[in-house]
Amino acid sequence: MESILAGVSLALTWPAVLAVLAGIVAGQLLGAIPGLTATMTVALLIPYTYYLDPWVGIPMLIGMFKGSLFGSSVTAILVKTPGTPAAAATVLDGYPMAQQGKGEKACKMALYSSVFGDSFSDIVLIFGASFLAAIALNFGPAEYTLLVAFSLLTMGFVSGAKIWKGLFAMLLGMLLGIVGLDPVTASPRLTLGFLELEEGIGLIPMLIGFLAVAEVMRQMEFPRKQLAASTVSFSDKPADRRVSWAEFKRVFPTLMKSSSLGTAVGALPGISATVAAFLAYNEAKRSSKNPEKFGKGELEGVAAPESANNAVSGANLIPLMAFGIPGDIAAALILSALLIQGITPGPVVFRDNPEPIYAIFTALLLANFFNLILGHGLIKMARRVVTVPKRILFPIVLIIAAASAYAMRGSVFDVQLVFMFGFLGWVLTKLAFPTVPLLIGFILMPILESNLRVSMLIAGSVPNPFAYFFGRPAFVALIAVMALMLILVLRRILRDRQAARAAGLRSG
Amino acid sequence: MIKHLVKGALALTLTAGLAVADDYPSETITLIVPYSPGGNGDITSRFIADQASDILGVNFVVENRAGGGGFIGINSCANADPDGHTICFISTSPITVRPHVIEAPYDPMEDLTYISQFMLSKQPVIVRNDGQFNSIEDVIAYAQENPGQLRWSAAVPRGGPHLATEAMFRAEGAQTTFLPSQGGAVELANLLSGTIDLAVISDYGPALDNGEIKILAETSPGRNPQAPDAPTLSELGYPLELASFFALAAPAGLPDDVIAAWDDTMAQITESEEFNTLMERIKGEGAFLNSADFTARVAADFEAMGEATATYGLGE
Repeated sequence: MESILAGVSLALTWPAVLAVLAGIVAGQLLGAIPGLTATMTVALLIPYTYYLDPWVGIPMLIGMFKGSLFGSSVTAILVKTPGTPAAAATVLDGYPMAQQGKGEKACKMALYSSVFGDSFSDIVLIFGASFLAAIALNFGPAEYTLLVAFSLLTMGFVSGAKIWKGLFAMLLGMLLGIVGLDPVTASPRLTLGFLELEEGIGLIPMLIGFLAVAEVMRQMEFPRKQLAASTVSFSDKPADRRVSWAEFKRVFPTLMKSSSLGTAVGALPGISATVAAFLAYNEAKRSSKNPEKFGKGELEGVAAPESANNAVSGANLIPLMAFGIPGDIAAALILSALLIQGITPGPVVFRDNPEPIYAIFTALLLANFFNLILGHGLIKMARRVVTVPKRILFPIVLIIAAASAYAMRGSVFDVQLVFMFGFLGWVLTKLAFPTVPLLIGFILMPILESNLRVSMLIAGSVPNPFAYFFGRPAFVALIAVMALMLILVLRRILRDRQAARAAGLRSG
Repeated sequence: MIKHLVKGALALTLTAGLAVADDYPSETITLIVPYSPGGNGDITSRFIADQASDILGVNFVVENRAGGGGFIGINSCANADPDGHTICFISTSPITVRPHVIEAPYDPMEDLTYISQFMLSKQPVIVRNDGQFNSIEDVIAYAQENPGQLRWSAAVPRGGPHLATEAMFRAEGAQTTFLPSQGGAVELANLLSGTIDLAVISDYGPALDNGEIKILAETSPGRNPQAPDAPTLSELGYPLELASFFALAAPAGLPDDVIAAWDDTMAQITESEEFNTLMERIKGEGAFLNSADFTARVAADFEAMGEATATYGLGE
């Protein structure tokens, strides 16, 4: 108890609190600039932060990461350009909402969901880190393979459009996802001789091209007159400007489910917030009573990815606190800041010297609070910025798209990719192919492939592969859960078909 | 105070000497980092740019040109004018290792001038602390008795530490299963959960402090200060041992006076207190080698790697 109080007071000094605040402000603003991810900014600033006290540096880092996850969703909603890849799934329903004049409502939903997801995973981290981390260790390559394969499978069925179109888009995404070095033999694959493609197609050029550039191209088809109007108009109806209590209650189950999903994903090292956001979106759509509303401005379509991606950031500290394994780059940066102080996160530090850990927990919760307060300011500011005429906004979006792709690794090739994917995205929209399965296929394929192939190698290294895999409790549990969910999905498809047939008979 | 004065005086005499000898540098120097921002290579490069800018009195631009595992950035450096105004950061893998197993767009022995090495990192062979292995002999014996059943991984597939360890197994005729890496953090989790039995990674510090793992051997020259009792691979009589270096390079044909200027600059930077703090913070070992010594080290490592690749068929 004493050490808890000591830890809390460490985080509640003026410099520490101000550092969280500064981190949130910087994170929200930088997150809103596509291509400038918080990780990158922090990395660039690290050489200049040697002289910062760790109790200023770590809270600032935490604030920055949390702020950027929300900041990036504002641009995703209002101009269809996710500030960071994690907000790509937010585009799917956030942007349609903005077009209906409900941009402010979508942003506020994103804000509440972000803070909810953050707080949820922080609380899980504080009370259950060692327990959850022990469970997460049961997830090896075989279990990752099952999880990802299952996500792809269900998604093919719930993509909304014609099933064959959904599957085609997903397979195209998966094909794009295997470009690069073969994960086992390290020989180049589908790179067409471009060295730039050896590390695979960049997520940022792909997402920005597919979402932002394709949208600008689509809008350019409209008659000239329309281009003088602004792309988003904000309705002044109070119902379109805020999230009512009734609406919040309606999305609450989605928030809970997505936050749990995000926390679980975060506890597994190596799976990103982007993946969690898409998985949560997919699951919200699958379990919704009216999945056909998704993609057309459904409030839950914003709540699910936003709570899930933020939940990942807190949960990434779970393996760090339990074993000293950083789950992502944010956790790695916090780890290095701790190591500098001679503090090694893990079971030993909880026993011997827990103050710094409690200080971090306090900073996490404090950051959530500031994120909520300052988020409203960012929404107000963004509202003013994006209500410029399209003929001014679109060229700016194109320039930002090119600049952000270039900024990642100083590659003109990536800029060309942005416009190629913009064109591809435009063509696919014209042909009425759904984009979500393509993006999910692209993001999940590398995880699926490397884990599947590693699992096959493991199978070859044990005397009895069957006994090995079915001797793993997590593997058996996953198979059982998935069989159950598959039955539910199939039943639903059959029911829909019957309903459609009945309706067809009546009208015919 | 006195220390700072001495340092300032040193810097003054040095720059004055340079100004007389030649007019290098006369314009902004571009430092190409062939990796994305945020890694240790990027962090140390930015630090060096910052310090060298004070010493040489010109601006530095740090450019991240990532891709192809370092090939792209280094290739653009190799093709630049050898006037000392374009230099690049290099690490082991794209210089002495990968060109033997994957076709590189440049020839590391022909197309680059090696400026100076400033850091080494340790790449130990680690196992679970509560596991069955207490020495490399245990590991080899197990692998020989159970062909293909020992599973292991390294942070960088086909990097130096991976291939040095692979050469050890092949020298013993031990059949093992190498699982391609998904990054140091994931491999550490895999090691703790028993998915793999052995790992060669550099981010082992926290797990070692928590008593979760132990170090059996070191794959680079010199014992690991964290485990002074663990032998190096060459002490054990194995064929390949590769230094894991951070260094600077420039296009081939760099004039001698530019090389001399950088030797002085890097000597000065690596002696500074700020540099030592940085090394401590990223768990690196500050290790300065001037251009001549470092060029010899690269040539020796490149040759050793080439021989090992041929002898043990590491390219397959």
